[in-house]
Amino acid sequence: MSAPTSTDAPRGPDLSVRLGGLSLPNPILTASGTFGYGLEFAHLAALDRLGGIVTKGLSLQPLKGNPPPRIGEPRGGMLNSIGLQNIGIEKFLADVLPGLGRFPAQVVVNLFGYEFDDYARLAERVDAFPGIAAVELNVSCPNVTKGGIEFGHDPVLLERLVRSVRNVTGKPIAVKLSPNVTSPVAIGEAAKAGGADILSAINTVLGMAIDPWTRRPRLHTTRGGLSGPAIKPIAVRIVYDVARKVGLPVIGIGGVETVDDVVEFLLAGASAVQVGTALFRNPRTAENLVDGLAARLIEMKLDRVTDLVGAVRPWREG
Amino acid sequence: MQPTDTSARVVEVVPHPLPYYSLVLDGPESWNATLPGQFVMVESSEGLEPYLRRAFSVHDVSKTDRGARIELLVKIVGPGTRALAGKRPGDRVAVLGPLGKPFGAAGEDPADARPVALVAGGVGSAPLLLLGRRLLAEGVRFDFFYGGRGAVDLARRETFAELAAASGGELVATTEDGSAGERGLVTAPLGERLAAGRYRKIFSCGPMGLMKRLAEISREHGVAGEAALETPMGCGFGACLGCAVELTDGRFALCCKDGPVFASDEVKW
Repeated sequence: MSAPTSTDAPRGPDLSVRLGGLSLPNPILTASGTFGYGLEFAHLAALDRLGGIVTKGLSLQPLKGNPPPRIGEPRGGMLNSIGLQNIGIEKFLADVLPGLGRFPAQVVVNLFGYEFDDYARLAERVDAFPGIAAVELNVSCPNVTKGGIEFGHDPVLLERLVRSVRNVTGKPIAVKLSPNVTSPVAIGEAAKAGGADILSAINTVLGMAIDPWTRRPRLHTTRGGLSGPAIKPIAVRIVYDVARKVGLPVIGIGGVETVDDVVEFLLAGASAVQVGTALFRNPRTAENLVDGLAARLIEMKLDRVTDLVGAVRPWREG
Repeated sequence: MQPTDTSARVVEVVPHPLPYYSLVLDGPESWNATLPGQFVMVESSEGLEPYLRRAFSVHDVSKTDRGARIELLVKIVGPGTRALAGKRPGDRVAVLGPLGKPFGAAGEDPADARPVALVAGGVGSAPLLLLGRRLLAEGVRFDFFYGGRGAVDLARRETFAELAAASGGELVATTEDGSAGERGLVTAPLGERLAAGRYRKIFSCGPMGLMKRLAEISREHGVAGEAALETPMGCGFGACLGCAVELTDGRFALCCKDGPVFASDEVKW
């Protein structure tokens, strides 16, 4: 290989993206619930390479989570019912957030509430912390019976909920959409009407699996959330619909593992993606995608990643 | 010590009577620090089934010229363990580890010279070889109780017998079908000896039912116990929170980080 003849340092393609008020060095984030609070991965992955880190769902009080078994493994995916076990917002702010400040990755806190008012209280609590770039409202976890999903399945309630959060924070608000509704677009529009800046799509798909020998459901809670490659086409469809019809920037989530997956979500209309279950298989998946995406853009002769956003070429309208 | 994620080289797959085999892997020098009871997460397939890595106790570890060699004792139970059985020398597999909390000390009281009991149910013997080696090096005598459905389930029985004998103890084998050792459950001969006050501690690994019974026996006889648990595991390093184990105080511990070794009286069986 010969040395570059130019004296200029070679410049890679521009990976930076902007979603509402959230600016990211690259469009690869880690998904809530799959990256702990970030520091669990500090010795296994290069946190400084990521575009952003979305925390495990945080609630006002610590949550114990659901009884085991909590995970099952149907073909091509993972079924979970963790039940939002978390350390609580105060412990996160005191013990974890300072450690995350060492990394350039933008920190997005995923917030979960049992009660309507919990979301605004959580958002208000984190508003003064400059180390938090945005909040993501978890109104779509299928594994807790109370709170959360009650708000994410009802457009009227959701609009009010997002507005209550909008009133207490200037940080960008992402709303994480459930795929387990008839019209994710209607839910996305409600979130937008309430003042959301970003839509994260999708949360896990409600599923179930049974051990054929013990006749027991694989999960103690019987039903749980399916993630991984198995749900990617569902996620791409919802991203496509929501991006075109709601008109907010979208973060694509669901089975992201390869550069092709990232490009597919961007083409469907996502401005960024979150990597989730794939991180359990390989903790370096997210940073590998940052490199792989840059290489792909060069191969496609594109200068900036935003050129791909929404650039799908449909066969027909609709 | 922090775990490493390594593309490990398959040295060989050593067949034991089916459905058991040993997977021997060459990896980094850091593996030499593996402690008894620790485990590794192994990618068994590059395809979609299984999608996640599988947790395996480290069965044995030895130094090599350039690093370390580990042996995993595996029972074929599904697509992942079947795929690993088909690996060939020179193949690469992703291995993350060593992970988890190891087995603890043989006893608190230095004046207590009684032996300890190692109790394995089937492939639960996997982490107990390394523990046996450690006890031997510490000069602690141990008996090895090895239970299975049939003779085939007592993989590497001779190796365990030699190790126990080297420590001054013995191997006690039981099978449910009577095809090797005493007919019946491993808890029967163990219970008799515990009643005679023979052991100061019990270390175990095996099916949950066995370890639950062992916890009861330990309590009855006032003997401390440690058990290495197996649960479904997503990541192996505390991120997915999938491997919860309920404790007697009502908390959920993580098998991967707080375990896999637990004091047998802290687990809500």
